[in-house]
Amino acid sequence: MAANGYLIVSALLFAIGVVGVLARRNPLVMFMSIELMLNAVNLSFMTFAHFLNSVDGWMFVFLVLTVAAAEVVVGLAIIVSIFRARRDIDVDELSSLKG
Amino acid sequence: MIGTTIAFYVLAAATLLSGAGVVLFRDAVYSMLSLICNLLCLALFFLLLGGLFIATIQVLIYAGAVMVLFLFVVTMLAPDAQAAGTPAPGRQIWQWGAGTGLAVILAGSLIVALTSGAVARDARAAGGDPGNGLAEHVASLGGNVEAFGYALFHGFSFPFEVTSALLVVAVLGAVVLGRRASRS
Repeated sequence: MAANGYLIVSALLFAIGVVGVLARRNPLVMFMSIELMLNAVNLSFMTFAHFLNSVDGWMFVFLVLTVAAAEVVVGLAIIVSIFRARRDIDVDELSSLKG
Repeated sequence: MIGTTIAFYVLAAATLLSGAGVVLFRDAVYSMLSLICNLLCLALFFLLLGGLFIATIQVLIYAGAVMVLFLFVVTMLAPDAQAAGTPAPGRQIWQWGAGTGLAVILAGSLIVALTSGAVARDARAAGGDPGNGLAEHVASLGGNVEAFGYALFHGFSFPFEVTSALLVVAVLGAVVLGRRASRS
């Protein structure tokens, strides 16, 4: 299987994630879409590691995995504390920071 | 070889379908389960690409630990989070149209950039037997985990140390944010 197939899957997956962030209004689903995008990039890294015969791509996947874990922890904590404060997590309603 | 091709197409279809499921399901819990399915499919992709150890930590950490945390929060907030999914209809259609249009443009340009960019050209130039060099390198170091550890501590040790600082900061942030506001 040529590299192009994997890269096209990765690009499509990234685009699906972008649709999720742009069109959904539930912050939890937007968060899942961000995870989707991170994983699409991971697939690209693994593909390039495979086809360039180098292990360096694995390192980037590992770092992305760590950053994603940290991001999930902090992001979910923020969502939970917003939910506690106003019992409502529709992103369109969260406009109190608007200038 | 034909087996790899069939596996690729089946996995590609499963990955894209479960990815679309994340965005399209109304219920956040279904989106979540679809995302877990997507992560498992990607772990299989990583196996196909020779990354046994990365596939393992993808299943253990991502599809396991991170997603359990996610599912916990989703089910905790679920009843009220569903209400957020039914907004004024006119606006919703506008958002979906604009989002999908932009994403199609992005997907097209990403495909062109990824498949004709410098890295892809290097990958094609790397030889007619892709993955073999990687397999040899891994075998010469004694295995997948050994190759991963060798690369991590020869050239990536500083990013690895920074990772530990990042995780500590994330844990502290979660503790501070998760504390009841009434105590302060």
